[in-house]
Amino acid sequence: MNERYSRQVLFPGIGKEGQAKISSKHVLIIGAGALGSGSAEVLTRAGVGKLTIVDRDYVEASNLQRQQLYTEEDVAEKLPKAAAAEKRLKAINSDVKIISIIGDATPELLEDLVVGVDVMLDATDNFETRMAMNDVSQKYKIPWIYGACVGSYGMSFSMIPGKTPCLNCLLRTIPLQGMTCDTGGIISPTVQMVIAHQTAEALKMLVEDWESVRTSFVSFDLWRNQYTSMKMSKAKFPGCLSCGDERTYPFLDHENMTKTTVLCGRDTVQIRPSIKGELSLDRLAGQLNSLGYTVKGNPYLLSVEMGKERMVIFQDGRALIHGTKDLTHAKSIYQRILG
Amino acid sequence: MNKVLFFAHLRDAVGEEFLTVNASGKTVAELKAELSAKYNLPKMETIMTAINEEFASHDEVIRDGDEIAFIPPVSGG
Repeated sequence: MNERYSRQVLFPGIGKEGQAKISSKHVLIIGAGALGSGSAEVLTRAGVGKLTIVDRDYVEASNLQRQQLYTEEDVAEKLPKAAAAEKRLKAINSDVKIISIIGDATPELLEDLVVGVDVMLDATDNFETRMAMNDVSQKYKIPWIYGACVGSYGMSFSMIPGKTPCLNCLLRTIPLQGMTCDTGGIISPTVQMVIAHQTAEALKMLVEDWESVRTSFVSFDLWRNQYTSMKMSKAKFPGCLSCGDERTYPFLDHENMTKTTVLCGRDTVQIRPSIKGELSLDRLAGQLNSLGYTVKGNPYLLSVEMGKERMVIFQDGRALIHGTKDLTHAKSIYQRILG
Repeated sequence: MNKVLFFAHLRDAVGEEFLTVNASGKTVAELKAELSAKYNLPKMETIMTAINEEFASHDEVIRDGDEIAFIPPVSGG
């Protein structure tokens, strides 16, 4: 056994056998922001066999405070996060096969990428992608680990198909106005705490220590000193469309996806969310104002200046992103604000 | 009586870490609707509820002495 992993091999939960398993496994990380870059570094250093990381964004200055793989140089070059992550991860551990995908984690892409994967890690910033990951997890029987954070508040839950409840059992629908780091802010220790939970769970799964996998839903607030662990033994919903007997995998269906369209003759992309609902425009305007965005509005819509782009958000969740024709970029801006 | 705990932005909206209310005999959905109206809380449909640290569905009936926690799922990452 390689000297490099000697301290991890000494740990009784892993040992030589566990290390051999880790080095033969494939992990898929969806998102290379704060959670994705941290988890990717932990698992690359731990010597996972193969790591695939997917992201649609490029590195920006506001990422550097917490997204540990990136540098000022990456910002200056506007490198795609996936490409910058691959460069850094390869420099950290050349034993690991790193595959980076620059793109939007659509259900189609997830279904392509999941072949041969042992564990999926959630590092996305929106529930639409999480629900698609959840359906893919159930369809292909691959465990996945939910993780999310905003401000000083974070959470994680491990899902094993056939054994635990799934994300759709818990939420039953996509939350329309989820808090995001772009609306609620974020401190780095919150990110690190979620990464610690997710990657510890991933290591247990990679060494096949299924007994040790956490069965409760953990949430914490590092600033207010709260820590909760919610038992999930009664959470499985028998009629769940993702993991029940009558499953249809609704979030792999194009009909249930956010629709993006370039508006003809205008430098504008229209975003139509999958779930119709009513946004609290007042609340959103307040959050965006306090972050320093220039927000104008009336009872029907908000107009937000966002650097080169301007986003107009309607009460039913529909939005127009002016100043771009790039569908993926527009969707990314939208989900950063609305989750 | 019942202790009701709030996390993340719910705590900010309520202004307290917990409230003591009489929720005995009410369902989780009824309590959510009541608190949502009283404190002008954001939509509570997708907020998870724990009763005595165990996940509870919307139609679960709260008994006297139960401790209730509202845990909002967040999407940042």
